[in-house]
Amino acid sequence: MNILVCMKQILDPEVPARDFRIDATRKEAERGSASLVTNIFCENALETALQFRPADARITVLSYGPASAEETLRKALAMKADAAALVLREDDAAPADPLHAARVLAAAARKLGTFDLILTGREAGDWGAGQTGALLAEELRLPCIAFADTLSMDGGKLRVKRQTEWGWELFEAETPVVVTITNDEHNVPRIPKVRDVMLAHRQPLTQFTLAELGVSAANDYYEVEELFIPKKESACELVAGDTLEQKVDVLARRLVEVTASL
Amino acid sequence: MSIVTIHFGFDRAAEGLLGAARRLGDEVHAVVIGDGAEDVARYADRVTAIDMDYSPEPCLNALVPLCAGAKAVLLANDTYSQELAPRLAYRLGGNAVGDGVAIDEKLRVTRQVYGGKAQAVIAPKRSPLVAWLRARSFAPAPLRDAVAEIERVRAAGDAKTKIIERKRETQAEARLEDARVIVSGGRGIGGPEGFATELQPLAHLLGAQMAASRAACDAGWVPPTWQVGQTGKKVAPELYLAIAITGASQHMAGISEAKNIAAINIDPDAPIFRHARFGIVEDYRKVVPLLREKLAKMK
Amino acid sequence: MSAADATREIYWNISHPWVMYLLLVPTLAIAGYGLWRHVQRWRRGMPAARFDRPAERLRRVLVHAVAQKRTAQERYTGLFHRFLTYGFVVLTIATIVVGLDADLHTSIMRGRFYLWFQSFTVDVFGALVLIGILMAAVRRYIRRPRKLVYTDEATLILLAIFVIAATGFLIEGWRIAGTNDPWRAWSPFGNLVAHASSIMSVSAVKTAHQTTWWLHLAISFAFFAWLPYTKLMHIVTAPLNIYTANLAPIGASLRPVDFEQEQFGVSRPEQFTWKDLLDLDSCTECGRCTDVCPAHAVGKALSPRDIILQLRDADSVRVPATEPDRLWECTTCAACVEACPVFIEQMPKIVDMRRHYVMDEAEYPDTMQDAVLSLEKRGHPFSGTQATRLDWAQGLDVKHLSEAKDAEVLFWVGCGGALIERNQRVIRATAQLLQKAGVSFAILGRDEKCSGDPARRIGNELLFETLARQNVANLNKHQVRKVVTPCPHCFNTFKNEYPRYGGDYEVSHHSEFLSSLVADGKLTPSTSEKSVTFHDPCYLGRQNGVYDAPRDVLGGNTIEMERSRNKSFCCGGGGGMSFVDEPAGQRVNQERAAEALATGADVLAVSCPFCMTMMQDGINAKKGSREMAVMDISEVLLEAVG
Repeated sequence: MNILVCMKQILDPEVPARDFRIDATRKEAERGSASLVTNIFCENALETALQFRPADARITVLSYGPASAEETLRKALAMKADAAALVLREDDAAPADPLHAARVLAAAARKLGTFDLILTGREAGDWGAGQTGALLAEELRLPCIAFADTLSMDGGKLRVKRQTEWGWELFEAETPVVVTITNDEHNVPRIPKVRDVMLAHRQPLTQFTLAELGVSAANDYYEVEELFIPKKESACELVAGDTLEQKVDVLARRLVEVTASL
Repeated sequence: MSIVTIHFGFDRAAEGLLGAARRLGDEVHAVVIGDGAEDVARYADRVTAIDMDYSPEPCLNALVPLCAGAKAVLLANDTYSQELAPRLAYRLGGNAVGDGVAIDEKLRVTRQVYGGKAQAVIAPKRSPLVAWLRARSFAPAPLRDAVAEIERVRAAGDAKTKIIERKRETQAEARLEDARVIVSGGRGIGGPEGFATELQPLAHLLGAQMAASRAACDAGWVPPTWQVGQTGKKVAPELYLAIAITGASQHMAGISEAKNIAAINIDPDAPIFRHARFGIVEDYRKVVPLLREKLAKMK
Repeated sequence: MSAADATREIYWNISHPWVMYLLLVPTLAIAGYGLWRHVQRWRRGMPAARFDRPAERLRRVLVHAVAQKRTAQERYTGLFHRFLTYGFVVLTIATIVVGLDADLHTSIMRGRFYLWFQSFTVDVFGALVLIGILMAAVRRYIRRPRKLVYTDEATLILLAIFVIAATGFLIEGWRIAGTNDPWRAWSPFGNLVAHASSIMSVSAVKTAHQTTWWLHLAISFAFFAWLPYTKLMHIVTAPLNIYTANLAPIGASLRPVDFEQEQFGVSRPEQFTWKDLLDLDSCTECGRCTDVCPAHAVGKALSPRDIILQLRDADSVRVPATEPDRLWECTTCAACVEACPVFIEQMPKIVDMRRHYVMDEAEYPDTMQDAVLSLEKRGHPFSGTQATRLDWAQGLDVKHLSEAKDAEVLFWVGCGGALIERNQRVIRATAQLLQKAGVSFAILGRDEKCSGDPARRIGNELLFETLARQNVANLNKHQVRKVVTPCPHCFNTFKNEYPRYGGDYEVSHHSEFLSSLVADGKLTPSTSEKSVTFHDPCYLGRQNGVYDAPRDVLGGNTIEMERSRNKSFCCGGGGGMSFVDEPAGQRVNQERAAEALATGADVLAVSCPFCMTMMQDGINAKKGSREMAVMDISEVLLEAVG
């Protein structure tokens, strides 16, 4: 079984709000002193694949991004993915829209071989469009299951458990299929062993350019017209009182006030 | 040209969605999968009910012809809507935009990006626009004088993926997304006992739904369905009572639509106080029992 | 007879004394084999350079092996241990003198030497051994301190020593009686036995003497042969271990990892250094390490003594005492290392084994993983923080090093200072003091990364090295010479660990720097009305020997807690433990907070960002209706300077 896990490197979502700046002309966040990290849902996807991996399975990780995205792939190799491929994006290119990203990933996937199972994160922690996995499925003319957290095999059939807002659903799926992965308590990404981290840096990495894949660099899905940081709200009122009892009394009244209109 | 709305049942989200569609003018064609077509028919100009047990592939196949020629297709931000929207856009030759908090007459969608630290206004380059919206925060559409006719179609056919089991989790019986009041706990609760013995009874008094931060869910103290935040549910209650939640931006990303945030936290420097309207700096273990006493008396 | 001719007949009443030498052969062989086995085991260890600075090492042996200074920190134990040690040394010398005189015919056992040493001194020291052994027995069987290990071996040892000493006096007494020794007054205790045996017939005395003589010999030889197989091996290993002990500050005692090796942590004994293995064989089972261990004190399972004892006899390091759960209870405070009378280094071994779980197995507590991941991703361990490295500096005119190239001092803030909201006020206070004193300083702001201390203590040496190299490169790029930091962990890392990566700086903890500013008259504090107690941070005090500077900053008038200075009790936050939720009822910080509250002081002064959060939490939990402010020494000083 061949499994492809698509992974994206993003600006650290934990960059503190006070350090967060926007480049209004490029319509993108400024890098500043923030780190680049692997999108958590992509790591959840890889972890899900690693836990699912049948004995004969081979896991390939694929990323579309600037040269720095190599770090994301090296870390995936350290987590014990078998092979890695990077589609290089020019450093100064505009952020990829979801359709462009899906086309690139689809072209790279075709070039890398045939895959029975393609996993992506449900969305990325930067733009959070939540579309790339679904559009990739469309590009590859494959069915898609969204928001899954667990994969298993039952009698030769793939089972996919996915979360919904009210509980969960279990799918039985024929391969090939695209599955987008969300986080749950079981797919917290593993910490690689240090030896594997060191070995990962010596493993080969397949690289493609857009030209080699024959994909245009154009973003023609939608346009980001404006990007701005919303204004902050007013300060918090800390309930007043001399004793805890008095303070809690005020708190209770305030709570009743705001819920009264319901 | 018409605006198509897609509903999986009738709820506050459907009302909001129909409201958004109505304000974009033109004709509103509502497509209902499952129950609720009769309710939707009081708001829409045209209603198509697809009789099916939801499954993504057949549903998508059924939706494509119904949406063809629409100016825009609007969905709410539930699982099925988010699952279908990008693929529907692809098949219609349009573009999808998700998680919108506003949409204007030029079909520009405002949405949060970078974990809620920024907002973007996205303009379509293709048509139709397929947008999924935080529908609950949109004003409902006015009731129409007439009730629309309901056209019924069936969707079936082979699917390479099929749902073989569904499970409703008891805690989520009333959906968190629909909740008007939410009591939420974080890492500082310290364990499942705090949720069970302190927060649950308080939620009961307030008529609130229970929620939690990612830390509390990851620790296995509460079910993952309780998770609110960038990686969990996005909620829009009138009151969000954050207890022992620090208020990291990832968590705030899920409650940015809350009308009122109140906080109980032992750390006066916790970022949650920068977002809360009111709060108290104290150990929740001391506050919550007292608070329950007070609330019980006020009732 | 004149005193110049004084002596006694050796082997009186003993026929075939050569049998003794015959018996000595198997005795030496058995003891020798035991010793050889130990030496073989040490030789299997990894290399460690522990033979430099011989004079210093010798001095330590004199102070701690000969004078037994650390052992005597417990006065009662120190007393009887010295009785036993010195008693046995004297008795052994006396036995050798006998051999030299009788069998090598040297005739040294004569005259004044015979009377003063061989008779009087030996008699008195023999008595001291008896007293010592009785004191030891009283401690072990009547006072029964919990820290001791109650083994049959220990009982047998006490019994053997008692029998050897007691039979020695019997033999001496009966010889005096049997030979009617004219110099009997020189052996006062032997003489008592002689007087007591006056009721015995001459032949009875002779029979009893002869039998007891052989018995004494047999037990002594057996005891000697058995020594290397018991905890008494420390008679040999303790001086060796003290000689080869770490001379550097404790803070410098973690060893680097060779990343060319197959494994990076320790999972088999031979992956320890030979010195670590010598440590194991030096343990006297005294239990002081476990007695002072903060984790143990609050009821956790960690016991440094059990780790040493169980590793001593094991072929694998996977013994109950080194269960991962227990290793993750260590705060690396090094109280164990400081307490050990034979200079065993327990804490670095715990880190060695942590390294195995973290680097080789990638199995360690989730919350520590969060901290490590955050260190990897963003150079600080506080996952999820919304604080920035410059929040504290708002409104202060503090410059980045690149804008203040002529700044004399780099003020290294540290993650704990910059990113924990409470500590931002401490950093602010320190910066304001530096400004008041006219110090030319600058900061690195967003370019600071964690020093690597938590990564290293948690056991991720690769991450530590990465951070260390990045920081050193950054500091060297700015040609930094002087570093001042309010974080003892950064201080320790910069001072003791960065030189290996090419970072040689003059490093001061802010307590040292501020106290020198006060001493130089650049800051003139007024005396405060408030009473202050000071909590020594482990990485400043015990691990680097800085005790006075923070007290000087506080005005030199601190109320001391029961455990202070080198015996200070950890706040619970070191060794990555501030990233772990301790079970309720087993919180180290609360134990320490109770101790601080017991002083009745108005202020609990700290000088470490981790101590600040741990102690503030602890005081909050324990204070009840009492009020005690937790303040950094810089905040106290800033108040006093006005």
